[in-house]
Amino acid sequence: MSDVPILLEMRSITKEFPGVKALSDVNLVVRAGEIHAICGENGAGKSTLMKVLSGVYPHGSYDGKIIYQGSESKFSDIRASENAGIVIIHQELALIPGMSIAENIFLGNEPRKRGAIDWKAANRMALDLMARVGLEEDPDTLIKDIGVGKQQLVEIAKAFAKDVKLLILDEPTAALNEADSRHLLDLLRGFRSRGITSIMISHKLNEIEAIADQITILRDGRTVETLDVKADGVDEDRIVRGMVGRELSSRFPDHTPKIGDVFFEVRNWNVRHPISADRQVCKNESFVVRRGEIVGFAGLMGAGRTELAMSVFGRSYGVYESGTIIKDGKEIVLKSVADAIDNGLAYVSEDRKAIGLNLLDDIKSSTVAAKLSKISHHGVLSEVEEYQAAEAYRKELRTKAPTVDESVSKLSGGNQQKVVLAKWMFTDPDLLILDEPTRGIDVGAKYEIYGIIQRLADQGKGVVVISSELPELIGLCDRIYTVFEGAITGEIARADATPETLMKQMTSTKKLATR
Amino acid sequence: MSRIKDLQKNLFGGTTSNARQFGMIFTLVAIVVLFQILTDGLTLRSDNLIALFQQNSYILILAIGMLMVIVAGHIDLSVGSVAAFAGILVAKSMADWSLPWPVAILFGLAIGAIIGAWQGFWVAYIGVPAFIVTLAGMLLFRGGNQYIGNANTIPVPEGFREIGSGFLPEFGPNTGYNNATLLLGLAAAVAVVWREIQARKTRRAMDADPAPMWISILRMAIMVGVIAFAALRFASGRVGTSFPISGIILLVLVIAYSFYTRNTAGGRHIYAVGGNSRAAELSGVKLKRVNFFVMMNMSVLAALAGMIFVARSAASGPQDGNGWELDAIAAVFIGGAAVSGGIGTISGSIVGGLVMAVLNNGLQLMGVGTDRVQIIKGLVLLLAVAIDVYNKSQGRFSIIGSLMRPFRRDDSAPPASPPDAEREPAKAAVSG
Amino acid sequence: MRKFFGTSVVAVSAAAMLALAGCGSGRDGDSDSGGEAAKGFAANSLIGVALPAKTSENWVLAGDLFTNGLKEAGFQADVQYAGASTTVADQQAQITAMTTKGAKVIVIGATDAAQLSTQVAAAHAAGAKVIAYDRLITNTPDLDYYVAFDNFKVGQLQGQALLDGMKAKKPNGPYNIELFSGSPDDNNAGVFFNGAMDVLKPEIDKGNVVVASGQKDVKQTAIQGWKAEGAQARMDQLLTSTYGNKELDGVLSPNDTLARAILTSVKGAGKPIPVVTGQDSEVESVKSIVAGEQYMTINKDTRNLVKETINMVKALQAGDKPQVNDTESYNNGSKVVDTFLLPPVAVTKANAAEAYANDPKLAPLTK
Repeated sequence: MSDVPILLEMRSITKEFPGVKALSDVNLVVRAGEIHAICGENGAGKSTLMKVLSGVYPHGSYDGKIIYQGSESKFSDIRASENAGIVIIHQELALIPGMSIAENIFLGNEPRKRGAIDWKAANRMALDLMARVGLEEDPDTLIKDIGVGKQQLVEIAKAFAKDVKLLILDEPTAALNEADSRHLLDLLRGFRSRGITSIMISHKLNEIEAIADQITILRDGRTVETLDVKADGVDEDRIVRGMVGRELSSRFPDHTPKIGDVFFEVRNWNVRHPISADRQVCKNESFVVRRGEIVGFAGLMGAGRTELAMSVFGRSYGVYESGTIIKDGKEIVLKSVADAIDNGLAYVSEDRKAIGLNLLDDIKSSTVAAKLSKISHHGVLSEVEEYQAAEAYRKELRTKAPTVDESVSKLSGGNQQKVVLAKWMFTDPDLLILDEPTRGIDVGAKYEIYGIIQRLADQGKGVVVISSELPELIGLCDRIYTVFEGAITGEIARADATPETLMKQMTSTKKLATR
Repeated sequence: MSRIKDLQKNLFGGTTSNARQFGMIFTLVAIVVLFQILTDGLTLRSDNLIALFQQNSYILILAIGMLMVIVAGHIDLSVGSVAAFAGILVAKSMADWSLPWPVAILFGLAIGAIIGAWQGFWVAYIGVPAFIVTLAGMLLFRGGNQYIGNANTIPVPEGFREIGSGFLPEFGPNTGYNNATLLLGLAAAVAVVWREIQARKTRRAMDADPAPMWISILRMAIMVGVIAFAALRFASGRVGTSFPISGIILLVLVIAYSFYTRNTAGGRHIYAVGGNSRAAELSGVKLKRVNFFVMMNMSVLAALAGMIFVARSAASGPQDGNGWELDAIAAVFIGGAAVSGGIGTISGSIVGGLVMAVLNNGLQLMGVGTDRVQIIKGLVLLLAVAIDVYNKSQGRFSIIGSLMRPFRRDDSAPPASPPDAEREPAKAAVSG
Repeated sequence: MRKFFGTSVVAVSAAAMLALAGCGSGRDGDSDSGGEAAKGFAANSLIGVALPAKTSENWVLAGDLFTNGLKEAGFQADVQYAGASTTVADQQAQITAMTTKGAKVIVIGATDAAQLSTQVAAAHAAGAKVIAYDRLITNTPDLDYYVAFDNFKVGQLQGQALLDGMKAKKPNGPYNIELFSGSPDDNNAGVFFNGAMDVLKPEIDKGNVVVASGQKDVKQTAIQGWKAEGAQARMDQLLTSTYGNKELDGVLSPNDTLARAILTSVKGAGKPIPVVTGQDSEVESVKSIVAGEQYMTINKDTRNLVKETINMVKALQAGDKPQVNDTESYNNGSKVVDTFLLPPVAVTKANAAEAYANDPKLAPLTK
């Protein structure tokens, strides 16, 4: 590879924030035409490094040199780096939902004719760019009317509109389903064959293994190593070792389940969509949970798993139609979230930043937020008890934060998730519903979260895990339900669960009973 | 050296005050000192201090309610109109139906509650944005005021005027001061000491080291000194004047609402709703109830503010309440609240309101006309918020905050490694 | 440790209290220097002037005249206008600030005459004299003087002009007239009307002048809020109901705005133009008078009013009692206020050029 010219070299990059050294002496060498993956646990400094590169942190706010296309670059802002052909596509897509595909592609970069936007040319060029990324849509379609996968493609098309030389993708497949992910990876391979260089940040090690030429691993703000995938014979375990600095013998902690009797049951659950009343999002679904049991829910994106969980959790989604909930042999009616909490239910949402946490809060107030009555005396909150509760969970869950006064917005994804777990453990639930509990969380933290989930089950609680990662469900759960288009299509015991059997039932309406 | 470090860490940040709020207190002190010099000592003279409180108590009362509305992520543009509407009804009730004034005050609060319920209903249960609901309310209740009063001015009886222009009574031996005000000052001093002791207890219970003893004492000495100074000033006005009744009402409300917002579940819920309403809802917070409450509470306080103004003006007039919403909103934002909700404190808003009040008063004492006063106030509002926004975007604290950095308790800083701790003051000195 | 802590705090606070008490100013007695008027004050004292928002040119002019006039007389002048939106609260704060600054006399052109009693009381208690300018501040025993144009006289002039005008057009009566009065919530409106009726009543009783519609009660004649459209509507209705085949000779209108509305109505009905009175010397009305439509208006010259007020201030400075010419008529609800009344001037086409000679804006219209 060494004969290929170097496109980008970042030399001894050091970036400090007040009180924290986010990057120290980081080096990165990217050669023209390769796909270069950057791996590391959350908080390892990947995003900061990309922000330095793209000018979000302007020249002068960091130490070190960026050498791009043979000369030193001093980007003062994003615009400067984009003019040089470096385009970054963030995990949170920067598209305007109410505008069309073409409008989004050319936003801020509109083709003009005599001062006015030339929409004819724009649409023509948009079609051309869309073809290059394999997106078949009318350029006049609004962004909000297309799926996340296609939105991702629009973002890439937008990058091409700016004459990209170095494409940076931050967690590009995090929100995509299998098919869309595969399409995106194929696309990246296509770019490589056309000489476009890509940098990809991802937690999905299998994808990295499959697509990357070079892998640079960061840990705690330092470069650990750069691996050549082919030459070094890199596999997932090798990457994990680099990331966590030790060998992870197993991705899941050892666990012997202690399963008791059925204590929670949902029968014939029917829920309609909150806006379009003719759409049924839960179709006569029934399931049971036993004490000490970890129950998985597998399904494709949009299968209705989150909708099921939230509608059970105090009708916090959709319009309830019919169905009963039975807990400890008695029917309970949960009309509000408060009812659900009082009846020992807890729901850890899939999107912690949008709906799981108040990012303005600190750890201690987040921890007690769902059950303030527990630290109140005659309506007055006890600061001391709040602190003690939060501190106890911080220690128990090993949340990495200097004190519980730290703002949750400053924590890494894994630690935020621990705070959310603490918040719900604090409510003393009998049944915990965890929706995508490890999304966006790095390998080391995942292992810890699995451990926490197993401990909760061992305490005699029921745990429901919703996940899009089949290996996770298979590794963690004692029993797995499959969901397809709002209906439960199967129930598979741990022993029988393989990705193939799950996938088959996740994609068909035929009801198979394996037990 | 270690003592200085202790001082830096603990002096003013002993509770949960943040840098922004501290910066505002510093600004307030600076403005007071500035005008004290510019007006040859008029600013801190007894009669001026008394007038300052009387003139601004109703705006500060509005700021309390507005803070809660803004923290919950809303806005209330109708407060001035609601105040005027309640004011005219209360004046009418005393003039035409001869309601005794204490009953009339209750009647006024009830009107506030009804108006608040009306606005809260649209905001919380129908989901109309508060901006629209209260813009409508602004027109509605201003019109109501003119309709009911025929654009007339209606005088109110003596007893009622006490809540706006009354003072603590004179009693006891002739000390050369108003004894009631002195007692109030003493009570405040005792409360400060008691709070500090409680805070130390709490810190110890949280396994955290309380600030060194001498810091606590210094901090208390400063606060007690300020209280003593204020008490003596208020107590030494012309005979018959002292700490105003409206100031007492304000103090009681500030203490009660500070307690409510900080130390009760209801208060927490307001911050939760403003910080992330969906997350709050999924944590069992009754969103509608919280929104309803903050809107209703605001109108009750607006009615109270309206009555205090009417009492001070001795009559309810068609101009009452004009522009109050803007003063109250400005106070809240200068006091550090976030436009997007979820952030802000009662005490910050009061300090923000006082900054505007002192500025207004000082400029008036200097004979600056209202036109220029408005220009200056506008610029101050813009600058105060702009500095904060800019510094947040730069990942730093406000300029004033960083000036004050040596005094800030920084819990989030890693357990002070010596070189770090040494560097901090040096940095601050540069930025100062 | 705790004990030490508590005691030391008490000690510190006690020390602070004492220290401050030592240098504390003590309190002024209830400084009733307001009562001992005849002493006067230093010739370069501060005089405060608080005026309403700059909504009419009259107030802007008055402010300039006060600033210059007081300076010429050797005083320090602090002339303040209320803000455009927060009028009452602004004026309250301004009066308080003037009091704090030790103004010896405070002249107030009230934005709302009933909402200033607290501030006037405070000013009085601090030893300042308070003069109400143009608008009588009500419900306060602490107001010292009132300077204004004689509004009863305004009414009388209007009534007289109406009679003169009709006589000039048609030497012999009986004359048919209609009466209009101002907004019922404005104290002055009643005063104007009573002044006019003082002149008209004897003629009506004699039968020389007839209110053809019979609407003579102030409740019937009043126009709510001084609104032009109200006057026009009432006139329309009167013309239809009463003047189908009668001739309308004159209309008593309390001010120029209503006068023009009345004229519009009459012209709209195609009737001959009657004699219509007015007040305020509004530009449009002065034009109308010069063109021979509206018959008269009243000129209240701000220059004279300001001059008289400054004369009062000068007298107070010297320790004299200011000149007043009415100590009976103006009861503000708490006391009868000593008042100096200036005579208004009636202006018709005949004397317009002379009356407005000093007015840079109106003078050109009369040429």
